[in-house]
Amino acid sequence: MKQVLKYLHLWKKLTSNSFMSVLTTRFNALIFLLGKSLRFIFFLVFLGTLFSKTQLIAQYTALQAMFFYLTYNIVDTTTQLFFREVYRFRPMIVSGDFDLVLVKPINPLFRALAGGADPLDLFMLVPYIGALAYTAHLLRIITITNVSVYMLLLLNGILIAAGFHILVLALAILTTEIDHAIMIYRDLTSMGRVPVEIYRDPLRSILTFVVPVGIMMTFPAKAFLGLLSFRTIAFSCFLGVAFVSVCYRVWKYSLSRYSSASS
Amino acid sequence: MIYRLNFIFWRLRVVMQILVVYFLWLALFSGRNELFGYNQSQMLTYVLLTSLARSIILSTTTMEIGSIINQGNLSNYLIRPINFFRYYIARDIADKSLNVLFSIGEIALLYVLLRPDIYIQSDVTMIAYGTLAVCIGMTLYFYFSLLLGFLGFWTPDVWGPRFLSFVIMEFFAGGLFPLDILPAPLFALSKSLPFFYFIYFPIKIYLGQLPIQEIIRGIFLGSVWVGVLWCAARMVWQKGLRVYTAEGK
Repeated sequence: MKQVLKYLHLWKKLTSNSFMSVLTTRFNALIFLLGKSLRFIFFLVFLGTLFSKTQLIAQYTALQAMFFYLTYNIVDTTTQLFFREVYRFRPMIVSGDFDLVLVKPINPLFRALAGGADPLDLFMLVPYIGALAYTAHLLRIITITNVSVYMLLLLNGILIAAGFHILVLALAILTTEIDHAIMIYRDLTSMGRVPVEIYRDPLRSILTFVVPVGIMMTFPAKAFLGLLSFRTIAFSCFLGVAFVSVCYRVWKYSLSRYSSASS
Repeated sequence: MIYRLNFIFWRLRVVMQILVVYFLWLALFSGRNELFGYNQSQMLTYVLLTSLARSIILSTTTMEIGSIINQGNLSNYLIRPINFFRYYIARDIADKSLNVLFSIGEIALLYVLLRPDIYIQSDVTMIAYGTLAVCIGMTLYFYFSLLLGFLGFWTPDVWGPRFLSFVIMEFFAGGLFPLDILPAPLFALSKSLPFFYFIYFPIKIYLGQLPIQEIIRGIFLGSVWVGVLWCAARMVWQKGLRVYTAEGK
């Protein structure tokens, strides 16, 4: 418990620093917010355009597709909110500054993964959650069970995303490559902006079981719509925990190979 | 080739970007012969060609200019007996050549693996017009990117505007879908922007979906945009040099 409180305090401190740093350049922050909002709206326009020509896509209505898209945005934005520091990890490795993290009495993974939350993503989350709640209301299927399962699988999706970010960090230590790796992850997950059912096999199976984009992005919404069995939900959670455990082992291995280059 | 893994990941990312859009459209066409006036062959050709168009038109080394100005490194260029604009044109040609080379290889590989039913244009006139449109798009993007970089003369916040322009450009250039599937007012808006000539216009010519009058009109308007952006870039460069203080050096 003491450890949890210590890290919570540390996270608050690091987050507050990160927020102050971002908000010193308010004009830039505003432009980034505008860009993120437009990116969201533009894909929404694309979805709307698609549904203007067809009633259903992969058996989903426009409202359901909207729910899937909002779920994708919530998982993606929450992940970026908490794990933004991953994008800044490479300079730390190539300059050898990671040594300064290693000598501190904190878990280096915590510092590398969650050491600088992004306030812009926090601002973006507010309208996303509002829009999600409104869409869920329009779907008229809000029950305690649906909401609980949705929340559980949403957390599971964020857990899997954390696993991917840990893998990217490990790769950075082993190879100093990070920029393209994290963007490949983002490109892959962008396939989850629409329900993965619309893709054909084997891509659909790959996106569900090999690179679990489907479990991260699509399963929470499917569970909310009552389209997932209890077994599938349990399996998803098991897969999420197992995936993060494997990623953590890879991280431990990569740490043992850290060579402190340039320091 | 010093950072080989970085290079491989970069190319892998390019392929991934094509595949994301390709599979999305493939899925949308399942059970349909036609969507938004396109058949599957035309749409998949459009998707594959966007990758080639990106590598020719949207690849540039001018993205670093904002940081070069902010860090004061522009001085290193100003004291050399070279023209800054021409220097970056030469660098871009080298960068685009590398991009095109790999892009052709990747598209060929994807063609072999996916065997899509693609549209081959046999009309030499359309190919010539398409090539001309690509040259216009390339020049337009060069000056557009230069202008964004020149913001560095006045502000250290150069990445925000670039990110915003990237989001707007991605949508209005037709990178994810052909612009004519958009509702009429949005399509009309896209036509009034220079981004229209980056990806959508050259590929539409290649697909043979534009009447000759519209092609000539587009080439004329694209050339006007080139002139406008060229003048703007020259003017902003001259004004920028007057306020440049080599801060950071």
